[in-house]
Amino acid sequence: MAVATVVLHGTRAAAQQAQGFNVERFYPSAPGAGWFVMDDLDIHGDVGGAMQVTAAYDRDPLLVGSGASRLAVVSDRAFANFGGSMWYKRWRFYLNFDLPAVVYGSSGVVGGYTFTAPNVDPTTLPDPVGDVRLGTDMRVFGDPHGPFRFGIGAQVFYPSGRSQDYDTDGTFHAMFRALFAGNTDHFTYAAHIGTHLRWFDESQTPGSPKGSELLYGIAAGPIMPIGTSSWALVVGPEIYGATALRAFFSPTSTALEGLLSARLEGTRDDTIQIRIKLGAGVGNGQFGAPEWRVLTSIEIFNHNHVEHAP
Amino acid sequence: MRSKLGLALVCALLALCGRAWAQSAPPGVHEDEAFDVMNLLSKAGLRDLGSERWNAYGQFTYITIFKAPFSAPYTNANGSNNSLSPEFERSYAGTFSLFFGVRLWHGAELYFAPEAIAERPLSNLKGLGGTTEIFELQKTGSETPVPYRARLFYRQYFDLGGKKVLLDSNPLQVGRTVTSHRLVLTLGNYSVIDVFDKNNVTWDPRQTFFNEAFMSHSAYDFPAEARGFTFGGAAELDWDDWAIRIGRFAPPQHPNEQSLDFRFWEYYGDSLELEHDHKIKGLPGAVRLLGYRNQVYSGAFADAIAAFEADPAKNAGACPANGYNYGSGNFTAPDLCWVRKQNVKVGIGINLEQFVAKDVGLFMRAMVADGQTEVEAYDSADGDFSVGAVAKGALWHRPFDVTGVGLQLSWISSIHAQYLAMGGVDDFIGDGHLKQAVEGLVEAFYSVNLFKAIWLAADFQMIWNPGYNADRPGPIFLPGVKVHAEF
Repeated sequence: MAVATVVLHGTRAAAQQAQGFNVERFYPSAPGAGWFVMDDLDIHGDVGGAMQVTAAYDRDPLLVGSGASRLAVVSDRAFANFGGSMWYKRWRFYLNFDLPAVVYGSSGVVGGYTFTAPNVDPTTLPDPVGDVRLGTDMRVFGDPHGPFRFGIGAQVFYPSGRSQDYDTDGTFHAMFRALFAGNTDHFTYAAHIGTHLRWFDESQTPGSPKGSELLYGIAAGPIMPIGTSSWALVVGPEIYGATALRAFFSPTSTALEGLLSARLEGTRDDTIQIRIKLGAGVGNGQFGAPEWRVLTSIEIFNHNHVEHAP
Repeated sequence: MRSKLGLALVCALLALCGRAWAQSAPPGVHEDEAFDVMNLLSKAGLRDLGSERWNAYGQFTYITIFKAPFSAPYTNANGSNNSLSPEFERSYAGTFSLFFGVRLWHGAELYFAPEAIAERPLSNLKGLGGTTEIFELQKTGSETPVPYRARLFYRQYFDLGGKKVLLDSNPLQVGRTVTSHRLVLTLGNYSVIDVFDKNNVTWDPRQTFFNEAFMSHSAYDFPAEARGFTFGGAAELDWDDWAIRIGRFAPPQHPNEQSLDFRFWEYYGDSLELEHDHKIKGLPGAVRLLGYRNQVYSGAFADAIAAFEADPAKNAGACPANGYNYGSGNFTAPDLCWVRKQNVKVGIGINLEQFVAKDVGLFMRAMVADGQTEVEAYDSADGDFSVGAVAKGALWHRPFDVTGVGLQLSWISSIHAQYLAMGGVDDFIGDGHLKQAVEGLVEAFYSVNLFKAIWLAADFQMIWNPGYNADRPGPIFLPGVKVHAEF
């Protein structure tokens, strides 16, 4: 357990206690949505669904202060995310659970605020659940496998977990996104832009959320069929982030991450398919973006009773 | 084919049909006709429930119990703090659970079951030894709903031949076919009684008795954190009518605490169970022998008494404030806080079930534990005996209705009684004095089904000698009601 105590830029006696919040900037796409974060809007067919388990590790997702003396309030965060979705025609509904496994960091004083390190592992807290996400997406127009699709999505987060563990804001929050995606036989892309309605606003506290945020992201990569099989490999970068609306794209209020992901996936309809994903990326170390992260995911999904074009 | 009888037989054969418990309550099997998501998909031709890649189920249960006032000559004598209040009280527990299952590779399954609970126990969960009024109650619950990860575990089947056996789609069971000779490994985060001490007559507590006494042996002090779950592994060898199970699980760091000790080589709870399934006049039954051995950090009653007699300053009221103790203010009583160390606890029990008609079953459980050390994780009981009957309403043309009646007796060892009589407390009981007696419970319920998905139940419990104390005999009357939904 790596919990250290550091005093920076202030004195302990005068310091206010900083509140914990949901530090995680990885907002996984809905189960069945292809990319780690972006959404391929491949929503089609009769009733179908997906289940997905993602495991990830973040390094230094919450650094406060400046220069070489930054305090890693959250230095290590390992978690799983379990989700399930069902879809019908153009609609998708999904549910995700954030399952923190290890959350460690360092305590200290920065900018007049006392930060208390989280200390979560299975021995101290065997069964934590972070914010629970309920979401829906709709492919508004565009063929499910065509060059351009447009969709909209909404997500609501039910507060769960403990804010002192940096698992939750302790309040409801929501996201609304416009989704763009498309593909040809050998190339696929996806993008989103939206807003994260977030009531947690601790603008004075270093590194803390400043209310609602703008969400942005884009991903693209080649589709490489595996021989004559019904499997394909997709490799490509995902670049995404968030910035506080009240400090639009200021360096300390903007999270930016780049993730290189590879996924091996089945491409047939009317049967159960598997998707395995691997990813690694770096962040700008600001506003909840980690220094780096690695993640992997396994998913099963199917599109049922698809009416194929003659 | 998902007839109830078939399910009962399959469950008896396999002992792994979607059960799990709360204080880890288990989800029950779902009927063919039940109104749930998977059956709807199946009827729409979108699912093969006998060969699934995934499934998803859910349940909601709200139980409330009213405790009538009873007379007691003393309560929490001399600063002790574990008496059942003699005043009117209401207890409740509401749970919402989801059960997800996914088939991975050959023979492999992954299960995830998040859950949320809101609760208020009688007297802060104090005063009852083996007869906690609602089986859902947890030691860390609150009146505000709290979500948590109840289960996340991996199961691997190794088929070893024999007949083909269909495992129907159910909560915590992806529909699949296995063989009657097989090895099953279950690893991860779940409840010990997901695997051990199951009974197909008392079946799903959310469908049957309200009291915890009929969920498992009261004296089965299986390792668990304060919600009733733990981490560990179990292996089960099924060979036609026989099954043997063995498992090792992580105990709490301190008795009844939320944090777990993962030093499996030093602190652990081991269970071993042998099961034989049979038929009498074509009706299924089963006999299970269960033994457990816990090597845990706990206090022995004799050690606490000896420490107090050698040095009265080592009393309950003087427990170090920064140490782990049960908060008694009795300065004239021994306390376990002074003597906790690595101790061993053992117990052995028998669990019988027999269907006497298609939808009518009888059950009996009995267990004795050595009774030398405090409760580690489950109930404060060193021995138990329970018997009863559960019937479904097919006889009166309401096949989804359920009714039952049961009797449970639990008791403590002489050294445990001596410790309580001196004013000591464990995590659940200790009135400050004790006149040793058997704690008893009689319970009856009737559950009415609506729309094949919702059950409304009325229940009545009568408890006597709460906390094994004949000085406070009661009886205590506890009427209750329940709403339960499955989807």
